[in-house]
Amino acid sequence: MAFLGQEEQIREFQERFKYLYAILFIGLGILLSRMVYLQVLKGDEMRQYSEENRIKKVKIASPRGMIFDRNRTLLIDNRPAFDLEIIPQYFKLSSAEEKVETFHHLSRILKMPESDLQAILDKAKGQPSFLPVKIKTDLARDEVAEIESWKISMPGIQVEQEIKRTNIFGDVASHLLGYIGEVNPSELQQLNKAGSRYKLGDSVGKYGLEQRMEEVLRGQDGEKLVEVDAFGRIKLERGKSRVLQNAAEKQAVPGKNLILSIDQDLQLAATQAFGDKVGGLVAIDPRSGEILAMISRPSFDPTAFSRGIPSQIWSQLLNNEHRPLRDKTIQDHYSPGSVFKIVTAIAGLEEGVIDTKSRIGCSGKIAVGNRLYHCHKKGGHGDVNVVSAITESCDIFFYRVAQKLGVDKIAKWATYLGLGRRTGINLAREVPGLIPTEAWKQKRFGQEWNGGETLSVAIGQSYVLTTAIQLANLYASIANGGTVYRPYLVREIESYDGQVLKGFKPETVEQHRLKPDTLESIKLGLWGVVNSPRGTAILSRLPGMDFVGKTGTVQVIRLSADKIYGKCESMKWRERHNAMFTGYAPANDPKIAIAVIGEHACHGSSGAAPIARAVIRTYLQKYYPELYSEKAIAARLKAGGVPVAIPAQPVNDDLTPDDGNDTTLPPVPSTQNRED
Amino acid sequence: MTHTSMESPPLLDESALRTSLYDEDFKKFNWNLLLLQIVLFLIGIWNLISATAVEDKSQGLYKSQLLWFSVGACVTALFLLVHYSFFSRIAYGIYFLNLMLLAAVLVVGRESLGAKRWIGFGGLRMQPSEFMKLSLVLCLAKYFESDRTVGGMGFRELLPASLLVGIPAGLIMLQPDLGTAMILLLVFGSMMLFLKVKPQVLLILGICGMLALPAAYKFALKPYQRQRIVTFLDPMSDPKGAGYNSIQSMIAVGSGKLLGKGYKKGTQSQLNFLPEHHTDFIFSVFSEEHGFVGCGLLLSIYLIFLVSGLAVAYQSHDKFALLLAFGVCSIFFWHVFINMGMVMGILPIVGVPLPFLSYGGSSLLTSMLGVAILTNIANKKFMF
Repeated sequence: MAFLGQEEQIREFQERFKYLYAILFIGLGILLSRMVYLQVLKGDEMRQYSEENRIKKVKIASPRGMIFDRNRTLLIDNRPAFDLEIIPQYFKLSSAEEKVETFHHLSRILKMPESDLQAILDKAKGQPSFLPVKIKTDLARDEVAEIESWKISMPGIQVEQEIKRTNIFGDVASHLLGYIGEVNPSELQQLNKAGSRYKLGDSVGKYGLEQRMEEVLRGQDGEKLVEVDAFGRIKLERGKSRVLQNAAEKQAVPGKNLILSIDQDLQLAATQAFGDKVGGLVAIDPRSGEILAMISRPSFDPTAFSRGIPSQIWSQLLNNEHRPLRDKTIQDHYSPGSVFKIVTAIAGLEEGVIDTKSRIGCSGKIAVGNRLYHCHKKGGHGDVNVVSAITESCDIFFYRVAQKLGVDKIAKWATYLGLGRRTGINLAREVPGLIPTEAWKQKRFGQEWNGGETLSVAIGQSYVLTTAIQLANLYASIANGGTVYRPYLVREIESYDGQVLKGFKPETVEQHRLKPDTLESIKLGLWGVVNSPRGTAILSRLPGMDFVGKTGTVQVIRLSADKIYGKCESMKWRERHNAMFTGYAPANDPKIAIAVIGEHACHGSSGAAPIARAVIRTYLQKYYPELYSEKAIAARLKAGGVPVAIPAQPVNDDLTPDDGNDTTLPPVPSTQNRED
Repeated sequence: MTHTSMESPPLLDESALRTSLYDEDFKKFNWNLLLLQIVLFLIGIWNLISATAVEDKSQGLYKSQLLWFSVGACVTALFLLVHYSFFSRIAYGIYFLNLMLLAAVLVVGRESLGAKRWIGFGGLRMQPSEFMKLSLVLCLAKYFESDRTVGGMGFRELLPASLLVGIPAGLIMLQPDLGTAMILLLVFGSMMLFLKVKPQVLLILGICGMLALPAAYKFALKPYQRQRIVTFLDPMSDPKGAGYNSIQSMIAVGSGKLLGKGYKKGTQSQLNFLPEHHTDFIFSVFSEEHGFVGCGLLLSIYLIFLVSGLAVAYQSHDKFALLLAFGVCSIFFWHVFINMGMVMGILPIVGVPLPFLSYGGSSLLTSMLGVAILTNIANKKFMF
């Protein structure tokens, strides 16, 4: 054959085969030696790696404790939330038609354009494709149902269930209840220094009771060993794991529940009464210091926070001029204005510079040094005693008393009664308020106290700063005859199965023996404010309920003389007066004390008193229906109660002009002290 | 230059059939490679059943592998009926047809895992780049059959030949499929070296190659391919990301220790720690479950297989057959070496299947055709 011509060349080629065999043996020899290295020499080590690979400790999440109100109305619960996830790895495996189908279904179910879905997927391209990508959190129930029914034809799509901390009443009392969030690295360090074991990704209380009661509410996570695959998916073959027949498991212990002193009906009534007004309200049981209601408006819904706050919502909250994130009951300072006058009155009576019969003439103004101080009523109140001075909020009377007392004596009594210091409520970020003294001014400004300032202090202005909770506690201590309690929110801690683990008892901070005369005059004065025709809050009277209190209207910025007496409602919101009301009910056997601050709500009588009234009525009717139901009151009034005539046009406004004649005053700390 | 070998024997006529099957002493028929192929395939199927036992998309894939094997068996039977000189005749035709298919893949191919490698014929998917390996060897064998260069090849002889590999390799790189393109280049290089290249040419090529390497790294490779090289040099640089495959597969191999974890008990693969464990990383499944003893046995089978293949080449009576057989052997050698080397972490990760063990129809079919060609050559050597 023709091939024969190649013989020589073929022989030459055959010579080369010894090299080929050599290369073949060397090549496979390299492979063999690598096998020896990995499997024989490093075998044990590699075996151990593979063991660690597949057995993973998995956290068994413990449910956080629930929070109830005093009547066991559930306020905060753990509810399942459903998230839609896509695992790119599996999604990629599906055919082009399947992908189109999947997008089509999802877009229709979620009402989300397909381009958005693609955008979410594209954004996740950098990460390993076995990590699920969240498409949508908090699916609605019907969305979950529909996705589940289409799931078979949507590869890589899954619905994940997660626990969502849910504030059942939305934004009611969010400041008090607080919120949780994912622990951040600096918190982590702090918490773990204190001995707790937190990991990144864990939730922790960040605000309110959720924060303060973290130790109680938080359960103990359990853990178990599971066999997982490379994607961390738990791998159980036909119901049971092959390698972990009797793997140890540590059960999760649920967190403890809190029973609060709060009454949710009062909270709702207060929220409703506030409407879109801005401010805070605190209601305290004067017999114990239990907080009955505590709200700050406007508010926010913490449920949105529990699984991470969308930055858009967060910045909206931060930039809102009504500052919804601040708790206006404890975090903000306010000048108390006229509601402070009872402190001046108590100091005067107890120090003996006046007695219950002392009368002072009010002509509408008073000169101190070379300056004139005005009463809020231009023409003056005529002759007043301590009772009518409180009722009519006569400034001149308190100026005179203050002149006799000096600022330090007023400060002494204010401090006794719990002002100028934190009440000690178990919430973070409570501010102390400020009660000025001569020494304080010297230290703070390096200046001598001037006599005119004492007059301003007497009516709760100038440097005097208080918080809503201090004012509520002040009036609670008047109501109970002189005991200052430490206000508290948590009545009981109980285990998840309902056993009471700890109860909280009232805690007395100060116990004063006020002269019976003093108390009686103050109470009488306060009764008049709401119940006498000359009182400043007569419109908020609750016939038959003996609701008593004191209004305050506080100018927040310096205004020219013509503006002060101008109509408050026609001013810019930020420049309007703050409205204050503090009080308690019923007059002779107080069961609830209250303080309301309406920021820029113009008048204490119209901006704050009606809110207090709504809460007090709700409370008395709910807890003492035999005395205060509409029927019981009607019967009582018919039997002999004397209804008080209500004047047609009460224009009593106790705004004391801060009318520019005090230019010698050093700068006053802002009424809303922002320091935390 | 021209040889007249084309005259004999006529294709598929009765005398040819008689020559190939009946006239020969049946006992003398060389069954070696076919038997070894069956052994390897059975190990492959057995292993694939384990690798795809977990509940995911790959479950039950061994069934389609069986289907491909029966297709391969039929084609093998057909191959044995013809004389290999027939391959010589159609070599260029096959080569050009395959080039067309490669070009078609780029235009109408199906995409999967980011690469366009497949072309569909009805319900079947096919990977023309796999067949290109054989087509190239066929073409080169034909091209050099008549070559009479003495004292080794210079640039003048090498340049046209390198076009034959350059065009398909370029088309395959575009898919992109670095592994297959590399195999083509390695097979080409092996054949050139076997045919002998002038030492000075080798030296110059070597220097140029060294100089071109950084540029190729920078411009010719895609970012993910560069990443693979980086992680090959230092797998721990990104253990959860790009180095993950390499580390997990080394752990799988090593954790098999001497005797393995037992059939279907390989945790690395059963628990999905190994990606692609039914295709390119199939060897890690095998070595995890059967240990050093199993691996050594498997390596020995490949060794016997390759030695038998080389023996076929050695004993061929004409240059075309010798080159063809050698080329086919080099395909097998490089697949085994690169795949196992990659799985055991001594080579960067490139997509090269392990013959008969990796899942993949085109790959299996290509391997079987290779064995068919070798067997054909082996049994035609006595015909003169």
